[in-house]
Amino acid sequence: MTATDIHALVGAYALDAVDDLERAAFEKHLLECASCRAEATELQETVARLADTTWSVPSPRLRTEVMAAVSRTRQVAPAAARVNGRETGTSRWRTRLVASAAAVVLAFGTGAAVFAVQQQRVRDERAVAAAAQVREARIRAVLAAPDLVVRTSPMVGGGRVTVASAASQGAAVVSMHADTAPSPTQAYQFWTIRGTAAPASADVLDPGEQAVVEVVRGVPGNDTFAVSLEPAGGSLSPSDIRATVNLV
Amino acid sequence: MTDRGGASGPDRLSAVPDEVGSGPAADPADLLDAVGRGDEAAFGRLYDLIAPRVYGLIRRVLRDPVQAEEVAQEVLVEVWRTAARFDPSRGSASSWVLTIAHRRAVDRVRAEQAAADRTMKVGVASVGTPYDEVVEEVAGRLERQQVRRCLDVLTDLQREAVTLAYYQGYSYREVAELLQAGLPTVKTRMRDGLIRLRDCLGVEVTA
Repeated sequence: MTATDIHALVGAYALDAVDDLERAAFEKHLLECASCRAEATELQETVARLADTTWSVPSPRLRTEVMAAVSRTRQVAPAAARVNGRETGTSRWRTRLVASAAAVVLAFGTGAAVFAVQQQRVRDERAVAAAAQVREARIRAVLAAPDLVVRTSPMVGGGRVTVASAASQGAAVVSMHADTAPSPTQAYQFWTIRGTAAPASADVLDPGEQAVVEVVRGVPGNDTFAVSLEPAGGSLSPSDIRATVNLV
Repeated sequence: MTDRGGASGPDRLSAVPDEVGSGPAADPADLLDAVGRGDEAAFGRLYDLIAPRVYGLIRRVLRDPVQAEEVAQEVLVEVWRTAARFDPSRGSASSWVLTIAHRRAVDRVRAEQAAADRTMKVGVASVGTPYDEVVEEVAGRLERQQVRRCLDVLTDLQREAVTLAYYQGYSYREVAELLQAGLPTVKTRMRDGLIRLRDCLGVEVTA
């Protein structure tokens, strides 16, 4: 994709009408183009004004719940959190690494939390929120690694698998979304493949589950990451491979 | 356009109140700054200032008051958690908060997308927000009028592309499908529509 192509997305980006990968690509583009950054900021500012028409007062209970949650939620430190688009001479290389990792965090981060909540529809909302936070923290730790490598591949029948792998963490964040859900008797299974050895199972999703964002250990060092469709519960070796992601 | 910020160099320390209407005394950016330093009372004031827009926007996108409250809670706690991340040189505080809110709402919509038959919802796409629990506010009403008036300045295709994406959470690919237009056309309409909207609303960002 050329810079002109990618910049044509500025409106869709400001409207959140892009997918995770396009968002990451666009944010990378923004790091390299100051005038594009200015345009994107202005359009985002404009888009925020569209919320003026949707003003609606929530129930007082929300305030009570939010204030209670806030009192037990730890804040992130400013230094670690702030990502500045500006680059100065000496720290240019470092800034770029941090910023590109941050772009990936942005692309995965919120979706991951939502998926986590979706995946565990339990009555106890607090337990879910806590679990989501732990998952999100683990995901962020991998995505923040300086040696992060992101690779992606389409799935047979529609959908996509993205593997963001960090050797320093010995793990990868895998984001999978299939356009069609497997039947309740089938499940997606993840595999890692190295050399001529038999594929090793990395995880089995729940039957019927079609989307996931999760940390998978032991991915770095392998040649290929694969997704297959199996009978519920998984198989010992892959039977119907739906996607392969080259890791080298 | 105002000439205020231009030649006199970077003046981002003196926040000139450019916003429409006579807002309340507290400035969201100042509050957010205090929140970033762990000030819970400031967060309470910020909540009162922004929660109706956060909740209203999420509810508009999700069309389900119960889910909207769940997501609004996530968003507001996220604002508390990451307040120190806010960088005033990259836009206003309310835009920062609303960007988080919109993205979360869209994430939720897309996560559920496969299950729900979204085409069913297109029929009610242009019906306005039910204002059952809404408290109207004069400044808010003026802002709404200005946004509505400016939306009317767009061409039909620009307006549809922008509002389907923003208020319904559709991706530009879905918008293209709904409007039976090509992808490049939709991308262009979104960008041109927002530029026109920006000029009409007089949105300016002095970096």
